[in-house]
Amino acid sequence: MSDDPVAELLQRVASQDRAAFRALYHLTASKLVAVLMRILANRAEVEDALQEVFVRVWQRAGQFQPDRGGGQAWLNTVARHHALDRLRARPVGEVRRHDPDDDPLARIADPAAGVEAGLVAQGEARRIVDCLQTLDPARGSAVRGAYLQGLSYQDLATRHGLPLNTVRTWLRRGLQQLRECMER
Amino acid sequence: MNDPLVPPEDDDLLAAEYVLGVLPLTERRAAAHRAEVDGAFAARVWAWEARFAPMQAETVEGRAPDLLPAIEARLFSVRTRRWRLWGAGAAVAASVALAVLMWPAPSVQARLEAGALVFEAQGDGRFLTVARMGPTAGSANDYQLWAIGADGVPRSLGLLRGDTLRLEAALEPGITLAVSLEPLGGSPGALPTGPVLAAAVLE
Repeated sequence: MSDDPVAELLQRVASQDRAAFRALYHLTASKLVAVLMRILANRAEVEDALQEVFVRVWQRAGQFQPDRGGGQAWLNTVARHHALDRLRARPVGEVRRHDPDDDPLARIADPAAGVEAGLVAQGEARRIVDCLQTLDPARGSAVRGAYLQGLSYQDLATRHGLPLNTVRTWLRRGLQQLRECMER
Repeated sequence: MNDPLVPPEDDDLLAAEYVLGVLPLTERRAAAHRAEVDGAFAARVWAWEARFAPMQAETVEGRAPDLLPAIEARLFSVRTRRWRLWGAGAAVAASVALAVLMWPAPSVQARLEAGALVFEAQGDGRFLTVARMGPTAGSANDYQLWAIGADGVPRSLGLLRGDTLRLEAALEPGITLAVSLEPLGGSPGALPTGPVLAAAVLE
């Protein structure tokens, strides 16, 4: 096995290897469930989404390019975008819960909730974590909440009581700073 | 969400917003489409994916149900594929539904195998009969039968207690049958909660 077994399996799946597809499912499904669950927050929908993700993986494994990153990262990307597509397609009003006890931003700010703790990362992950810390805390928290939990501009506008355009300009400035920091 | 957002003046920030996932549906779809047809934009999207990807590094794994039988039934059955192509458009789906109403369903069958446990399903256009061979579900569990159509959503057909189950259901070829192991009394919700033991497409 290479040092990236997921990438190796993906390349075999691209040539229609069903045994590799089954092995890929057993190796990665529990991670993808976690990625989907954080965004969709609904067990039944996550199971539905997981099926759809693996159908797409079978169909698109040929698009995986090992020189662009690891196999698990590619799978996470497929899963994240599928979850976001589902979330954004939900009718307005069902989009996000507004129960203050279940505010996704509040959960991110709470180290005990695991998200922040999970970002006390080593190695490769260190760079994005360090750069997020150079942003002002509200911006850093908004970027994390969007990436990990699927917060939209609309969610952020509601949360901060600001117009949509203002929130967009505000977050874009954060993204510019993040890019500059990571290119340093 | 009616206010138009600021027009994007910077492709790289649009790529970042797409990857981050903050865009509303219409803009999100436009950006996804652009990433497929515009190589320069796609490269920007990939650069942002790579920047953010390490944030997932320590995501704590969840517990995944074994959905492989259902996924494989969707992917590897010739009939399922044909059905899916057929049902590609909503209009087509509607006319299929109409056809189902107007003509009696043909006879169908499927064999669901999970090692020593085998379910034989036979439909005559009005009734579906399912016979079980092999071990029972035990005293704390039930086998539950599901039908999965072109939308991929499982619908419960009932619990498989005893050696045979006969129910009124006009099922078309191309529909997937699946059996899951559920707590006694069946899944508490609308979808399977236990492992899917076996699945097969009605032929």
